[in-house]
Amino acid sequence: MLDVQNLNSFYGRSKAIQDLSIKVLDGAVFAILGRNGVGKTTLLRTILGLTDKCEGSIKLNGTEITGKPTFERARAGVAYVPQGRMIIPDFSIKDNILMGGFASSKGRKIPDLVAELFPYLMENLERPGGVLSGGQQQQLAIARALASDPKLLLLDEPTEGIQPNIVEQIEECITRLNRELKLTIVLVEQNVDFARKAASHFAMIENGTCKVDGKIKALTAKIVSQYMTI
Amino acid sequence: MVHRMANILFIGLSLSSILLLIALGLSITYGAMGVINMAHGELVMIGAYTAVLSGLYLNLNLFLALPLAFLVSAGVGLAVERVIIRQLYGRIIDTLLATWGVAILLQQLIRLEFGLSFFGIHVDGLGPGFQSFPIPAFLSENFDILGFTVQPYRSFIIVLTIALTFLTWFLMYRTSLGTQVRAIMRNPQMAAACGIDVNRISAWTFAYGSGLAGVAGVLLAGFKAVLPNMGESVVVDGFLVVVVGGVGSLFGTLLSAAVLGQINGVFAILTNDIVARAIVFGVVIFLILLRPNGLFGFKSR
Repeated sequence: MLDVQNLNSFYGRSKAIQDLSIKVLDGAVFAILGRNGVGKTTLLRTILGLTDKCEGSIKLNGTEITGKPTFERARAGVAYVPQGRMIIPDFSIKDNILMGGFASSKGRKIPDLVAELFPYLMENLERPGGVLSGGQQQQLAIARALASDPKLLLLDEPTEGIQPNIVEQIEECITRLNRELKLTIVLVEQNVDFARKAASHFAMIENGTCKVDGKIKALTAKIVSQYMTI
Repeated sequence: MVHRMANILFIGLSLSSILLLIALGLSITYGAMGVINMAHGELVMIGAYTAVLSGLYLNLNLFLALPLAFLVSAGVGLAVERVIIRQLYGRIIDTLLATWGVAILLQQLIRLEFGLSFFGIHVDGLGPGFQSFPIPAFLSENFDILGFTVQPYRSFIIVLTIALTFLTWFLMYRTSLGTQVRAIMRNPQMAAACGIDVNRISAWTFAYGSGLAGVAGVLLAGFKAVLPNMGESVVVDGFLVVVVGGVGSLFGTLLSAAVLGQINGVFAILTNDIVARAIVFGVVIFLILLRPNGLFGFKSR
């Protein structure tokens, strides 16, 4: 699905990703782990073409996408749920969801799945996105991503700063999207327990490069303590 | 007294209308692209010259000059966007200086009759000097209704502005294109990540705003001298409206154009132009101190 080779990515002149390679298989939930500031978010942004400059190769289903503008990557099937959600506060919930539709080849409509997963959003379609709580905004950001009919979903710390009762719902939703929709998911996560539960593969990032990767079973307590404890 | 006051307000309203057309274009391009387009006034000027030249050479009247000027100014705007502004996205000071340069260039090209005066070629109706644009007779003769003097040309300006403002509102709030523009205004990166072609939409937005400036130029040509540097003061007024109204807010721009145009019109007649401008600037400074984001601006982009 996603094949990243020898990736370097820059903000201005500073290199944030160094010679990073990962391979995400079809239908995988791929957890990107590591401490704060090691380049996990930058990796997702680089896959979408949102950094200043990038070298190396990013292939989506065998097609080279480096050098393509962000909107073409989105239309090729990459959907992004960013850190901080980036909901447009004065757009209605409906307009926020439909924004994802600009990347969909099936036209702009709210997918049936969104109605099933997030009934609260469907009951409040005309309310502005800004009045929602953090957890609801996270659901809205996922709904927006789903409206683009994606093949690959990039999730950046989806449970960060969200009330505990919704964390569980969101975790369940991610697992369902993967199992039922066969959606390939790249998940940036700090919560190792959730990564172990949901992910099939992992990559441990430090200093902008991948130190260890493999099946999630290979994620030992030793690796976690070496790369994630402070 | 009532009649005189009504007349003054009416003239103020027609000034507000032209101000609004100019500010609408500035507001959406600044809002959507973060570009301070100093050449916007020159697009107004090009619209005015299009009217003068199309009248002289093609015998076009006001109603045909309006769509033509829209297309000419939109085309020039599109070219400026493609060639210069596109290279400078996200560098607000650089775009300000670059478009200022474009403004001077456009002014000089008109002053030098597209540069042809070097070859001794003179184009009638171009170049410096007062050009006038004849407005159709039925729009130029005032008539009275119940003691109120109706100025048909100024009424036409107001009606056309209302129509174009409605069209802009419709495009921005009721079409998919407008949704994309508004999404880019709020968060360009997220808009791109949602599959919106930010560059292409921005170019169309810029062309549309430039076209509106061209229309404003034709309307101005009906009662003002057409000069190469007529855009200079116009662009300042346009920015005052945008800043007071709030960037990217259609309603804010509308309200602030109405208020500033009226203040200008009323005080210009009661006192004189100089005092009127001083009062306008005073009001603007006060309003910006009170509300730095403008009357209806949303926070940050």
